[in-house]
Amino acid sequence: MMSTLRVLIRYPILVLAFTLAITGWLTVEMIDNARLETDLDEYMPQDHPAFIYSDQAEVWFDIKDGILVAIEHPDGIYNTGTLTKVRQLTKDLQKMEEIEKDDVTSLYTAENIAGSEDGLDVRAFYSKAPRDSVELAALRDAVRGNEMVQGRLVSDDETVTLIVARIGDDVFSQEFYDRLQELTATYEGPEEVHIAGSPIVEGTLARLAPKDMQRMVPIVVAVILIVLFLLLRSVRYSIITLLIVLISSIWTFGLMGLLGIPIYSVTTMLPVILIAIGVADGIHLYNHLRHVQQRDGHADRRSVVMEMLHGMWKPVVITSLTTSVGFISLLTSDVLPVKYFGVFTAFGVLSAMVLSLVFLPATLLVFGVSQRPIKRRVKQERVRNAERHRPFGYRFADLVLNQRSLTLTLTAAIVAGSIWGMTRLWIDSSFLEKFEKDSDIVQTDAFINRHFGGTSTLNVILEADSAGVFKQPEVLREMARLQDSVLARPKVGSALSLVDYLKRINMVLNEDRQEYYRVPETRDLTAQFLLLYEMSGDPDNLWQVVNYDYNRANLAFQLKSDNARTLNDAISAVEPFADAFERHGITINYAGSGYKAMVFADLILEGQIKSLVLSIGLIVLLLALMFRNLLVGVIGAIPITVTALISFGLMGALHIPLTTTTALIASIAIGIGVDYAVHFVERYRIAVRDEKDARAASRRAMQHTGRAILFNALVVIAGFLVLLSSVFPPNRALGAFVSLNMATSFLGTVTVLLIALAASKAFLPKPKHDKHN
Amino acid sequence: MNRISIHILLLALIVTSGLPTFAQDSPDPHRIMMNVYERDQGDDMTSNLTMTLVNSQGEERVRAIRQFQRDFGDVEKKIMFFLAPADVENTSFMNWSYDDASKDDDQWIYLPALRKVKRISSDSKSDSFMGSDFTYDDLGDRHPDEDTHTLLREETLDGEPVYVIESTPKESDYMYSRTVSWVIKDKWIGLKKEFYDEDGDHLKTLNVAEYEQIDGFWIILDSEMHNVQADHRTRMKLKDVELDTGVDSGMFTERMMKRGM
Repeated sequence: MMSTLRVLIRYPILVLAFTLAITGWLTVEMIDNARLETDLDEYMPQDHPAFIYSDQAEVWFDIKDGILVAIEHPDGIYNTGTLTKVRQLTKDLQKMEEIEKDDVTSLYTAENIAGSEDGLDVRAFYSKAPRDSVELAALRDAVRGNEMVQGRLVSDDETVTLIVARIGDDVFSQEFYDRLQELTATYEGPEEVHIAGSPIVEGTLARLAPKDMQRMVPIVVAVILIVLFLLLRSVRYSIITLLIVLISSIWTFGLMGLLGIPIYSVTTMLPVILIAIGVADGIHLYNHLRHVQQRDGHADRRSVVMEMLHGMWKPVVITSLTTSVGFISLLTSDVLPVKYFGVFTAFGVLSAMVLSLVFLPATLLVFGVSQRPIKRRVKQERVRNAERHRPFGYRFADLVLNQRSLTLTLTAAIVAGSIWGMTRLWIDSSFLEKFEKDSDIVQTDAFINRHFGGTSTLNVILEADSAGVFKQPEVLREMARLQDSVLARPKVGSALSLVDYLKRINMVLNEDRQEYYRVPETRDLTAQFLLLYEMSGDPDNLWQVVNYDYNRANLAFQLKSDNARTLNDAISAVEPFADAFERHGITINYAGSGYKAMVFADLILEGQIKSLVLSIGLIVLLLALMFRNLLVGVIGAIPITVTALISFGLMGALHIPLTTTTALIASIAIGIGVDYAVHFVERYRIAVRDEKDARAASRRAMQHTGRAILFNALVVIAGFLVLLSSVFPPNRALGAFVSLNMATSFLGTVTVLLIALAASKAFLPKPKHDKHN
Repeated sequence: MNRISIHILLLALIVTSGLPTFAQDSPDPHRIMMNVYERDQGDDMTSNLTMTLVNSQGEERVRAIRQFQRDFGDVEKKIMFFLAPADVENTSFMNWSYDDASKDDDQWIYLPALRKVKRISSDSKSDSFMGSDFTYDDLGDRHPDEDTHTLLREETLDGEPVYVIESTPKESDYMYSRTVSWVIKDKWIGLKKEFYDEDGDHLKTLNVAEYEQIDGFWIILDSEMHNVQADHRTRMKLKDVELDTGVDSGMFTERMMKRGM
């Protein structure tokens, strides 16, 4: 290793030119091929049973997410003007390329299943908007009398009416949304027009999150640059440290572009993570360089650089490897974007390592070693030494070792608190809750939820082997009971199933008598009602609730929230019916985008927790191998374990849900935290070899590397605090938690790790020689 | 040549001159469509109809129907008895279709489980027929006067010489923006027809798979309507066709609907 570096160091200009050439090439690749993946279905593992089933059910029943356009008139919607607008807007929506004609439902297109004097009458509510008060009243009465429309397409207070435009998964785009908003804007006044629905929420989210991150990254970079300068006292060192991180990001994204892999929302966090991890190498190298200069006085540039590399290459390589292992363990995830995220972050970390070991020394050789700030620093330290006799690192190490029990008690208390906090952790797959409470999108959603059944849908799919099962009265009655039980849940607003059609038809064929609002008494009656219904109009809507063979049924519930609690609450109302349906040979499953998102979030988290445990295990192993001591491996993993515990514990305690974003924080924490431990252990190992005494070695290690670790933590904390100003709550959480994790990793390393290391007597039986010398 | 034959000759001349372009080099497309519309199929017909509906997922529904129909001049009456599926057996459906285009069809359905005859009223002839891919209009109810016809070309289809005629509705709001028909010369059978929706997109294709001359009348026995947008198909097959057997006019009553065949 060292010999390779030595060769490379001989041609610094060549190294610089080569690095820049690769960077230039990959920049072009990155720009040419960058593509943001916003279709959430592309994120889902296609071979997972829950997704396979849901996708299948979506085909069976033509389940699609709906864009909800609400038209509000403060004086009520039953006036010629508003009804004309409903008709016209419906037609305009039907004409949009992205929307199938039959997928638009409004008061204008809805069918009114009604009874006539001697039969069934299935007609549109109106074709031309009613002109006079008599016609208007007739329409209003028709709607009021139809429970399949009242409360679904017209709010109960009759001030809002809904147009639902169902669209396919891959249809939504910003351009489409813009056109939609332009279109609806022309219908404003005196009516107000609102747009909501999960395609809007998901589409906006998929666009907003990366955009917000894009906006924040330059600020983070600027702040980190300033803090780097304050700590390194060298413009050149600061810029080069940052440059390494940026180049490694470019390499990573360039490679993605080269391989034709799109940018997923998870991978937009990559630059931020690489910044957090990548600056460490530079800080530690420069820190060591300074120590070398201090010790060797006026040695020539080349030998100082060689000495820096000689002393630091090992911890830099070890930290990079352990960090990479942490991320590569994300390969255990079932979710493709997370796998990519893991692999490419690892690639970025290793790129930063190579750059730090090759590019950084080359810049030192070409542009020179900074002298001025070191002299000052040395002078300062001398003054301090003279005043207090002992450097701060020594005193701090003594303090920690003397107050061992206090430190350990405190740590134990914090860990216990964290474990308690973790019991309160909850997983959330809500898209809506990622937005600000006072944002337009949340407000509109709340508005529609106030007036209608709900903006989110859960599909409960019942399936039997034998045909005709869903014509049997006892099965239909069980379905009706299930439906009522789910509807009794507070956040379930409405439901639609075969049962609703049958109850309605049964009632209207019996002079609208309320007691007939129930499923028909016999199978034949049900079959004949349905045939009558089919003959009376276009029965296409029927095939959204049942299939041809009547052995599959879809119960669609409208929910007032898309969060996991609401979904699980609804599902918990379904589950008790499993046995009853089982007796009829019917199985229960779930479908729809909300359900898939929930399963997906669970999967991501499960994968992340799995990979977290795996990566800690691998890091222990790796450290044990590198330091040839299993105990040291375990000790080295203490700070990251504690950090992960605190991170999750605090999230639980603060009621911050685990989401796909916040769960990644732990991976980042481990990636960073382990570096501190590695640097500290390495320095301690070298010190103990000379000192042959744990306390003396602790002091020296603390003095030598404690500052570099502190600097490292400070830089990243400062940079990530910037994210607190993000408009996007998940990015704010990311900023806060990465900062916190840096702090806990740092504190854990210089306290608990130090205590454990000193107590372990590791390295004390001094190794005879260093293999790599 | 005697006087009578001269009269017949004169009559023939008058008749053909009254149809100036018919069967000439440039035949009148409207006349062609009228010929299809008015193609004689006897005064009454008895048959067994099998209607098979297939959705985009390949699911199938099969209905077996025994049907009787009779032309009463200004009204055509039809009565259908369901044989299968079992849960709708003995359900019957009656339809009276009037020549007067302004008059809606009268429709009744008898539900044996309810022991009641119910009227069905629906919006228009653009409604689907029994939930199939056929609308009432597609089944031949639409009078050619309601459209403007253009002869696009003459060609050969399935070995038959055909006229290809495009028809556009005179009304503005009709469900089809245009249709294209392939009409077999002299047999006046529409062998194939394409339907285009309001946006001008291809919506459906009708293909006639089998037709036969029965008792001197050309009868379509097997046809399939394919909705290409929804990928949905309906196949109608006629069997045991009997023509001009003298179906009793008393067949087309509510009483018969209840009583059954």
